Amino acid sequence: MFRRLRSLARILWSRDQFEEGMSDELRFHIEQYTRELIGKGVAPQEAARRARLEFGGVNSVQEECREARGLQAIDTVSRQFRHAFRALGKTPKFTATALLTLAICLGANLAIFGVVDCILLRPLPFPEAERLVTIFNSYPKAGVDRDGSSFTNYYERRGRIPALSGLAMYRYETAVVGESGATERREIARVTPEFFEVLGARLKGRSFTEEETTPELNSVVILTEAWWREHGKPELGTQIRLNGVARSIIGVLSPDFHFLSSRARLFLPLSSTPEQRSPRQRHNGGNARHLIARLKPGASLNQAQAQIDAQNAALGAGTAEEKMEIEAGFRSVVAPLHADHVATVRPVLLWMQAGALVLLLIGGVNLTNLLLIRANSRVKELSIRHALGASRMHITGEIAVETTMLTVAGGLLGLAAGAAGIHLIKFLGADRLPLGSAIALDVRIAGVCVAGAVCLGILFSIPIAWFSLRARRTRGAHSDSRGGTSSPAAQRLRHAFIVLQMALSVVLLSGAGLLARSLEQAMATSPGFRADHILTGEISPAWAKYGSWQTRLALNEALLRKLSGQPGVAAAGLVNNVPLSGNDGKSAATVKGRVAQAGESTRGHYAYGVDGEYFTAMGFTLLQGRFLTGVDSRRNDRVCAVDEDFARYYWPGADAVGQQLFRGSRQEADSEAFTVVGVVAAVKQAGMTELAAQGAVYYPYAHRGDDRLFVAIRTSVAPEALALALQKTVREVDPDLPVSNIRAMETLISDSLVTPRAAAMMAGIFSGIALALSAIGAYGVVSYSVTQRRREIGLRMALGALPAQIRTQFVNLAFRLLIGGILIGTVGAFLMGRAIKQLLFGVSPAHVPTMVGAALLLVLVSLLACVVPAWRASQINPLQVLAEE
Amino acid sequence: MPEKRLTEVLPGTLDMLILKAVSLNPLHGYGVLQRIHQISGEALNIPQGSLYPALYRLEHQDLITAEWGVSDNNRKAKYYTLTPAGRQRLREETAGWYRLSKAIAAALNTTREEV
Repeated sequence: MFRRLRSLARILWSRDQFEEGMSDELRFHIEQYTRELIGKGVAPQEAARRARLEFGGVNSVQEECREARGLQAIDTVSRQFRHAFRALGKTPKFTATALLTLAICLGANLAIFGVVDCILLRPLPFPEAERLVTIFNSYPKAGVDRDGSSFTNYYERRGRIPALSGLAMYRYETAVVGESGATERREIARVTPEFFEVLGARLKGRSFTEEETTPELNSVVILTEAWWREHGKPELGTQIRLNGVARSIIGVLSPDFHFLSSRARLFLPLSSTPEQRSPRQRHNGGNARHLIARLKPGASLNQAQAQIDAQNAALGAGTAEEKMEIEAGFRSVVAPLHADHVATVRPVLLWMQAGALVLLLIGGVNLTNLLLIRANSRVKELSIRHALGASRMHITGEIAVETTMLTVAGGLLGLAAGAAGIHLIKFLGADRLPLGSAIALDVRIAGVCVAGAVCLGILFSIPIAWFSLRARRTRGAHSDSRGGTSSPAAQRLRHAFIVLQMALSVVLLSGAGLLARSLEQAMATSPGFRADHILTGEISPAWAKYGSWQTRLALNEALLRKLSGQPGVAAAGLVNNVPLSGNDGKSAATVKGRVAQAGESTRGHYAYGVDGEYFTAMGFTLLQGRFLTGVDSRRNDRVCAVDEDFARYYWPGADAVGQQLFRGSRQEADSEAFTVVGVVAAVKQAGMTELAAQGAVYYPYAHRGDDRLFVAIRTSVAPEALALALQKTVREVDPDLPVSNIRAMETLISDSLVTPRAAAMMAGIFSGIALALSAIGAYGVVSYSVTQRRREIGLRMALGALPAQIRTQFVNLAFRLLIGGILIGTVGAFLMGRAIKQLLFGVSPAHVPTMVGAALLLVLVSLLACVVPAWRASQINPLQVLAEE
Repeated sequence: MPEKRLTEVLPGTLDMLILKAVSLNPLHGYGVLQRIHQISGEALNIPQGSLYPALYRLEHQDLITAEWGVSDNNRKAKYYTLTPAGRQRLREETAGWYRLSKAIAAALNTTREEV
C-alpha cells in the first residue's frame, strides 16, 4: 500500500515527465516494430500502417497505463476542479459574496479563537501545568473575597499538606537596577527557594537556598534569559546592583520561562523575619504575597482543599482577633493556577466566541440559501447532463468539489482576515489581558481553519446535492417552463433560513447594544473625583536608602516642594495607592468603643496614606470637616479622614467628625486612636464598575506608608505636557529615582475599561456584519422570487396590475419574513441578555429600547435591501416576458 | 501472417511471462515482446496493446523498475529490470504455475480405469 502511494506521489510530482515518457516509450515501440516489418520486406509505408494498426489505439493504451498507475481518479477530480472553477467564474457576484461571507465569518472566529486558545486553552508553559494550583485567603463576610497569603501560612503549610508535592510563595515588586546615574526601573519578583522547582522551570546555575531567605543573607539574584542576553551575557557570579545593593548572579532561567503575565525579569529571594512568620501574623496576608503549589501525581484539588481546610481548622482561633477573622468567613481557597489567573476575562472571551459562532451560523445559513438558489437555477443544466449520461455519483461529486473549493478559498481568505482580526483585537487592548502578550495566530489554528473549511464545504454540499437530485427527479427535463415556481418545500426551507438569520441578527444586535450601553454607563460613572487635569506617576524608593520614616518623609517633603513650584502645577500630592492603579488590597480598621453586633465580622477597607495636597490635587469632594494635608504628616498628629461609605456604615445618622478609630482589627490603647477630621466622597478604587461600597480611611502618610509611592498632580495645562517635567523634578531630588507609569488620570480610567470596551467593539463589529449578511440574504431571496415569477408578473401587468401593486407584493414578502425573524429574535435577545448578565453594568438584561432599536435597524436595512428587487419586478415589461414563452 | 496461428496467452499469465522475460536481462517494452516470443519457442505472442498497461501495473507494484537507456540502434528507450520483490513474485508464480499445470495434466491424463 505504502509503495503504491509512493509511486503515485512520484508521478504526481512530475506528471508532465510521466506523460512525455509514456508517449516516447509507445512511439519507440511502434518504430521498432515498423523497422522489423521493413526488415521482413514490407514496404515502409505499409509497415508503418500495419504497426499502428496492430498496436491499437494509442490513446486507449495510454489511458489504461494511467489507470494502471492509479492516475484515473485523480484525473477525474482535477477535471471536476476545472469545471467547478469555470462554474464559479461564470457567476462572479455569487462567488464574491460567498467568498466574502466565508472570509469574514471564518476570520472573525479565527481571530477570537486565537485569543481564546492563547488565554484559556493553551496550558501554561510548564511541565504538567494542570497540576499547578494557587492558594489564597478569603474573608467574604468582611468584603474581602481575595487576600494573598501570609508568611505564616507558607511556613505552616510547607511540607505538611500531603496532596502537595511543593509549595512556594512570590510577590511582585519593582526595583532600581544598575549603577548610580545609569539606573533603570524593572519589574522583579521575590520568590521562595522552591518556586522554580514547583513550576518545573529549567535554569542554568542554581536556585535560592533556605539560608538566603533571611534578610541578612539576601544578596543573590536569578535572571531571565532575555535580561541576561540584553546585558551582555554576564558570567554566573557577576555582581549587579539592585536598589543600590550588590547582588551576585546565581542562575539564568531557560528562554521559554514565562510566569503567568508577569514581566519580572529579575528574581530575588523572598526573605522574612521570624516575627513575620509567627502565628500572630497568620492573617496578615496583604494582597501582595501569593502561594503556588504543585499537586502530587494522583492527588486531586479537592484532596488538597480538604487538607488545607483541616489544617486551618486544627490551628483554630488563638486570639480574639483571629476569631473575628474566622467569623469573617475565613477560608483558604485552592484553585487551579491557570483558570484562576484568567478567571476575570473568561466569561467575556467565551461570550465573544459564542458571538463569533453565531456570526458563522448566520453566514452559513446565508450561504446555504445562496447555494440553494443557485442550484435551483441549474436544475435544467443538470437534467440535460443527466440525460447525456452523468451519474448521480458524478453530479454529487461535482457539487461537493465545487462547494468545497468555494469554502476552502473562503477559508484561506479567512486566514488572512483572521490575521488582520488578531491585530485589531490586540489594538483594542487584548494584549493587556492576562496571558494576552502571547496572542498570535499559530500554524495549528490555521490548520484547524483550513480543515474546518473543508468540513464546511462537505456539510454545505449535502443539502445542495439532495436538492439538486430531488429537483431533477421531480421536474426532469420538462422544467423549461421558465415561469414554473420552485417546489413549496424548497421555498419554505429558504424562508425558514432567512427567518433564522434575521432572528440571530436581532440577538447579536441587541447583545452589542447592551454591551455598548454598559460601557457608556461605566464611562459616565463618576470616579468620585474630578479626573480631568490629573497626572499620576509611581516612584519606588529603595529601602536601602529610605529605610527610616525620617528619610521617607524628608523625601516626600523635597518632592512636594519641588513639584508645587513647577509652572503648570496647581496642586501636588503623594499617596501610597491611587484609584484604578490595579492594586485593590484592603485592610481592617476598628472603630473605637464599637462592639461588634451578632454575626458581624471585621470589614476590609481601602486604606491610604496621603501627603501634600493629595485631596485637592485629585479633586475630591469634601462632605464634612477638612482634608488632610502635608501639615498633618509633618506634625505627626493621629488624625484621619474617612469616606462617606465608611461614615454611613459605622455612624449612620451621626456626625463622623470627631469619632476615633484604630488601624487593624482590634481595640488598642487610646493613644493609638486616630481622630476623624473629615469625610470625603467615595472613589472607585478597583474599577469603574465596582459596586460594593467598601469604605475607605485616609491616614497621614507618616502613619500609613509602604514601599509604593504615587505622585498626583493637578495641572493647569494638559496633564501629559508635564510628564517630562515630573520625571526631571524627581531626578533632581534623587537621580536614582525614576518615575514609572506616568499617566493622565483619564487615561488610567479609560485603560481600566479595556475589557468592556473591547467586548463592546467586537460585538458591534459582529452585529454590523450580521446585519449586512441579513440584508444580503433578504435581497437574495426576494430577488430570486422575482426571477421565478417573471411570467406571473408579466401576465398580471398585461391584465392591468399597477407597478406599485407588484412592488407591494414583494415588500410584503420581506415584511412577513422580518416579522417572523424579529419575533424569534426578541425572545433570543431576552434569553441572551440574561445569560450575559455578568458582563453588564448599569443596564437591565431585558432593556426594551435596545431590543426595539435592534429590531428597527434590522427592519430598515432589510427593507432597503428588498426595495431594489421589488422595484425591478415593477419594471418588468409584459410584452417582453410573454414573447419569451 | 504467421502470428495468427500462435497460441493466445492464458489470462493471468501475462504478468508472470513479463517478469520471467525481464529476469533474464534488462529489456525495453518491445524487447519484452520479442523475448517472450523467443523463449516460448515462438509459440506465444502478446497482444501489443495489452503489454504496456501490464508493464505500468507491475512498475506501480514495485515488481519491476524502469530506467531510461540507449537501445541497440542508438535510440532513447525505457529499460525494465526485476526488483527483489519482483524476483520473489516470479518464484511464487512459477511454483504456482507448475502445481496448477501438473494438476491439470494429471486430470487430463486420467483414464476410465483409474477412476
